[in-house]
Amino acid sequence: MARLAMAIDLAACVGCAACAVACKLENEVPAGDHRLWIRTTESGIFPDLTVEFRPEQCLHCENPPCVPVCPTGATYQTQEGIVLIDPEKCIACGACVAACPYDARFFHEDGYVSKCSFCEHRLKDGRLPACVETCPTLCRSFGDLDDPNSDISIALKEADRIDVLRPEQGTGPKLFYLNSPKKYGLNQEVAK
Amino acid sequence: MTTFYGLPNDHAFWHWPTLIHFVLVGLAGGMALLAAIRAWHDDDHSRLFALTALILIVMDFATLWLESSARFRLTHIWLFLSFRPTAYIWWGAMGLTVSAVMAFLISFKFGPKRLWGSIMAVSATIILLYPGLALAANSARPLWTPLLLAFFPLTSLLIVLGIGQFKWDWAKPYFLSLSVLSAVLGVMYLVGLAFGGLEAKEALKHFWKEGGIFYLIALLLMLLSPALLKRFPALAGLMAVVGAILARSLIIEIGQYQGLGF
Repeated sequence: MARLAMAIDLAACVGCAACAVACKLENEVPAGDHRLWIRTTESGIFPDLTVEFRPEQCLHCENPPCVPVCPTGATYQTQEGIVLIDPEKCIACGACVAACPYDARFFHEDGYVSKCSFCEHRLKDGRLPACVETCPTLCRSFGDLDDPNSDISIALKEADRIDVLRPEQGTGPKLFYLNSPKKYGLNQEVAK
Repeated sequence: MTTFYGLPNDHAFWHWPTLIHFVLVGLAGGMALLAAIRAWHDDDHSRLFALTALILIVMDFATLWLESSARFRLTHIWLFLSFRPTAYIWWGAMGLTVSAVMAFLISFKFGPKRLWGSIMAVSATIILLYPGLALAANSARPLWTPLLLAFFPLTSLLIVLGIGQFKWDWAKPYFLSLSVLSAVLGVMYLVGLAFGGLEAKEALKHFWKEGGIFYLIALLLMLLSPALLKRFPALAGLMAVVGAILARSLIIEIGQYQGLGF
């Protein structure tokens, strides 16, 4: 069974937000809510300045803390490792929102919790997630972690540096950040 | 400097109805436990306690249903058709439902009161544990520490016995112990954060900035209430109730802060 994951090359991301717009349109995300957002961080003092554009979304964790706390089974993990929500079972109690260490979930105006689904409906048709397909700098790679020839496996192999968000949480994120332009990588604030 | 295109979903997700829910759950759990103990002793007062617990549970369910954005989608039925022992809300729902059924049976004198009392003792304990568990289970939120597993059940009982000070003489010694214990745990909560890791210290700063003074007032109310117990029991009870509800509400509301470490 495939183990689907995504990687974003931060050295290639220019913060154009095409991924965020594509996500919004593809998934009909209501105004004011976000499945995907771009964090822009400026650090350093001129002339030693760094600007990092970091797209953030659900990390489809290997050990998702949102799944066991769901009282109705609305939040579940597929065999491919994608974390999904069944709106027909969701009671919008917010237990999963509270459990998510990455603020990836929001209350949809139609009365259920929503978040990034890796565009599961597109994957079923053999297409890539909208954000991956749209990216003009090709900074996103998607595929099966267990397939050494998949885009993501190659991207991870070729990366100089690989980071995940909040590794101390032990969630095993499957959204990898490659080649962070920050001197100390993504976790520099924690390291301080 | 950090800016965003789009925004992370880091705003508060539990609002004032949740605060009311946690008060009603505490009251219902405490009343159900008292009813269960009375039922064991074959005391006729158990009927009144059980009926009060039943009314509180109905009020709690109504509050939850009214505040839910899914209220007209009828998905709540899945709570009762699922078996999800890893989910604290599932336990809360089961505890409340079983307690409601037992409270009904005791109130209206159906069947063996002692047996229903024994079952309700278990379900009431689950209800009392549920709010603390609902918070402590979220390890990513540094203000919701494991200490809340003890703080919430104790303050739930304190709220019940605090209200009881208007009438129940027998509850005085329990009330006294609970108010002191709750205040001590409330102080330990702050101390635990102060001596915790970097994230805990950062969270404590946030907590202090958002509601530190009110939290101190809440602790003082709980701590000072026993001093008035002999002469003004009703006032002592009221002080403890206000203190406990205030402290709990601050922890729930401000504790939604995640303090992302990245």
